[in-house]
Amino acid sequence: MKLLARILRYQIMTSLLVLFLGAGLFFVSVRYLIDDEVNKELLNSQIKVSWQLRNIDALPVYILQLGDSLQLDAVRYPRRPILREKLLYNIAENQYHPYRQLIFYERVEGQWYKVTISKLLVQRQQLMNAVVMTVTFIVALLLISLLVLNSVLSGRIWRPFNKTLAALDQYQLEKHEVLKFPEEETEEFEKLNQSVTQLTERLATTYQNLKEFTENAAHEIQTPLAVILSKIEGLFQDETLTESQLIALSEVSEAANRLSKLNQALLLLTKIENRQFLAGTEPVNLSPIINRKLRDLEDLIDQRRINIKTELQPTGPVMHPALAEVLVNNLLTNAIRHNLQNGSILIALSTGKLEVKNTGNAINGNPEQLFERFRKDTSQSASLGLGLALVKTICQVNGQTLSYNIENEWHVLTVTWQ
Amino acid sequence: MKLLLIEDEKALATSIQNYFQRENFICEWAADYETGIEKVNIYRYDCVLIDIMLPDGDGLDAVRELKKKFPETGIIIISAKNSLDDRISGLNLGSDDYLTKPFHLSELNARVQAVIRRRNFQGNQQIVFGKISIDPQEHSATVARQEVILTRKEYDLLVYLIANKNRVLTKESIAEHLWGDDADLMDNFDFIYTHIKNLRKKLMDKGAPDYLKSIYGVGYKFSES
Repeated sequence: MKLLARILRYQIMTSLLVLFLGAGLFFVSVRYLIDDEVNKELLNSQIKVSWQLRNIDALPVYILQLGDSLQLDAVRYPRRPILREKLLYNIAENQYHPYRQLIFYERVEGQWYKVTISKLLVQRQQLMNAVVMTVTFIVALLLISLLVLNSVLSGRIWRPFNKTLAALDQYQLEKHEVLKFPEEETEEFEKLNQSVTQLTERLATTYQNLKEFTENAAHEIQTPLAVILSKIEGLFQDETLTESQLIALSEVSEAANRLSKLNQALLLLTKIENRQFLAGTEPVNLSPIINRKLRDLEDLIDQRRINIKTELQPTGPVMHPALAEVLVNNLLTNAIRHNLQNGSILIALSTGKLEVKNTGNAINGNPEQLFERFRKDTSQSASLGLGLALVKTICQVNGQTLSYNIENEWHVLTVTWQ
Repeated sequence: MKLLLIEDEKALATSIQNYFQRENFICEWAADYETGIEKVNIYRYDCVLIDIMLPDGDGLDAVRELKKKFPETGIIIISAKNSLDDRISGLNLGSDDYLTKPFHLSELNARVQAVIRRRNFQGNQQIVFGKISIDPQEHSATVARQEVILTRKEYDLLVYLIANKNRVLTKESIAEHLWGDDADLMDNFDFIYTHIKNLRKKLMDKGAPDYLKSIYGVGYKFSES
């Protein structure tokens, strides 16, 4: 639920409560005033009537106002005067009307009379109507203004917040971005933006440091590796070595070579991630690269009797030519490595899209997981498990999308670009 | 042939020196930029191997200076940096080749020989080994004047073997020489075996003796004996 909607809900509840309470209070107080007024009028009438009865002994017709009524009943004993409310039936209108009655007793020539003066409470009804109408009107007005205010607020006041949110949503650590915002008038949003900026600054720095460390580490490993490999190669030339020593040495050599390869691949990967490769400035035609790579990989393809089909248009994405090489190379070697004996590879290059399809064994789980580093099919132990991770990273830094799908026996890797 | 190695890592320098000494090359060593420049100014070398990451200077500057003063000297850059920009700037400055650490000494050897051949003989010199002779410009090989038809990979392999004659070559170094970065695609080294087998057969068919010796578990050795 939106924050504004929540606030609105409480606002509406509170205003309704206050309004109804206010309306009640208003009604009660106005009624009290009116009753008080009517009582005074009744008492005035009483004085008039008493005076008339005592002194003149006859009541003029229009002693009271129209709509009031006066009734005299002979009673035996007087009682305490009563001031009360009563509903009286109006024959003409065929309905009950509220009346306020003053009943008092007056003695005329030794006979007690009960005098009842009734006053119609028309104002009260009008008042009720007025109060109900006013309250309804105010409620409606309030609701409408709250809703309007709400939408205006969410549109205007919350705009910077929504902007910040959108920026955070889009945030990618790999891009080494620092989120920056224009200055805001609202203090809270300004603070939020400052925090976000600081946070992303720290993130970018930490990430950069980490990457640099990885790269430096990989770099520093190269020299000792070079020493190890050169010493091994020197030793191989020693003719006094026995066969078993040679075999052991060759295993050391193999492992060191593998380590070196791994290190180089990692170095390349971090280098690309660190954006040390300049961004490309113009589209690289992938078609000649693909053809050249296919020629380079010819003997591998022949050996596994892989059938290659290409549909190449001279097109390609904007990227660094060296990265284009790595991309094509890794896609093709992947398609060959994970292919079947007598399998096929289809390479289709068209505007905005490169698709490499190869036959291969079914794989378990989500194919996209193969983009993770060191994720590999155990049967292919010579693989470093970095090939597709490299492809993925290259696509990421160049704003291309990479997807892996399996359609029947076909494994399909697709790179798309703008 | 006289080489100069400018490299700050002593252990690596010793290995390289030893390797070239067996080739009957004179390989001098300078441990830093200063000494390197000094030596270059005093002596003449056929080929200079420069590590571009030196503690007291940028090896690329040395390349620049060398190129200016002694344009006929071959230059090979050795670097732990694989960065493409370095590679391009190194080659643009006029270095003949660029090798990334770690590398196989046999690979370095083959490249040094290629550079020297190109520089000293404009690439015209035939490579001769026993009954085999190779014309590097034509990319062709003959045994006793009969042409041997080789595939591109077989030709590369033969040149590599001859450049590193009388030495044990590991399968890894051969694979890397032939396939470069794709070498890790070799799930096993059957490919090398196939190429070796074909090459040996083609050479022997033309009457060359069996120069190729297989060294169990390690690799191959190309020698006359």
